[in-house]
Amino acid sequence: MYGLLDISTSGMIAQRARLTAITANVANRNSVEADGTPYRAKQVFFAAGDPSARTADGRKFGVHLAAVRDDPSPFNLRWDPSSPRAFKDGPQAGYVRETNVNPVVEQVNAIQATRAYEANVVAAETTKSMIQQALRLLS
Amino acid sequence: MLITDLANAGSTPVLTEMLRFSGARQRLLVHNIANMDTPDFRPSDVSVSGFQGALRAAVERRRDAGGGEAGPMDRAASREVVRSGDRLNLSPKTSRGGVLYHDRNNRDVERMMQDLTENAMVYRTAADFLRRQGDVLKVAISQRV
Repeated sequence: MYGLLDISTSGMIAQRARLTAITANVANRNSVEADGTPYRAKQVFFAAGDPSARTADGRKFGVHLAAVRDDPSPFNLRWDPSSPRAFKDGPQAGYVRETNVNPVVEQVNAIQATRAYEANVVAAETTKSMIQQALRLLS
Repeated sequence: MLITDLANAGSTPVLTEMLRFSGARQRLLVHNIANMDTPDFRPSDVSVSGFQGALRAAVERRRDAGGGEAGPMDRAASREVVRSGDRLNLSPKTSRGGVLYHDRNNRDVERMMQDLTENAMVYRTAADFLRRQGDVLKVAISQRV
């Protein structure tokens, strides 16, 4: 029965990691690498099972963070010929590359991650009350 | 012998079976909730009505055999719920229906939370009844001494 809490905990950890990535994306919206490349949005991918869990139930069930990848979508372009980072020639002359982080998408993902985290908390609370019920049988 | 009789008295075996089933099913429900955002994941669950049907049949058999007041109860193993020792091994079915989202996950959050609540209620009810039976036993024992 205690393994069940491991499953919910793995869900909470995964959702928190997702929220961390979202926060990093929003915070780095205006960041630029040393070579002038804008920040690429990070995407988090989950997979079933939790190899780091302490119990067999936790390893077989649960969820874990499988990968954090860069968002492959193209960078946004902003017209700013006075910027030192603007393209000097070519079809994109005068444009500056900007991050591909979409604040609206990030907000929606943040709400989804928070709700999923809450669902895991509710599941853990329910399991906890069931364990308490079982333990009270012995008293 | 006395202990075996006590464990098989009245509705105790039925309640124990309910506790076992809802305890084992909780694992599946919690797993489904944890994987709410996992790509390609499809929630899986066992049929509650199937288990209840098998339990009802076992109760009927026990009633026919010994009046239902005493005696062991053997629930026929179904394809989904198999008992091994003190544990129940569940072979859940993966859900195929519902809306398939862009991450190829057909989660149904409301249904998952409803199942979780219902399962916990069943567990709590069975535990409450069992505890009450324990209290009755305690009273009976204290009157004897």
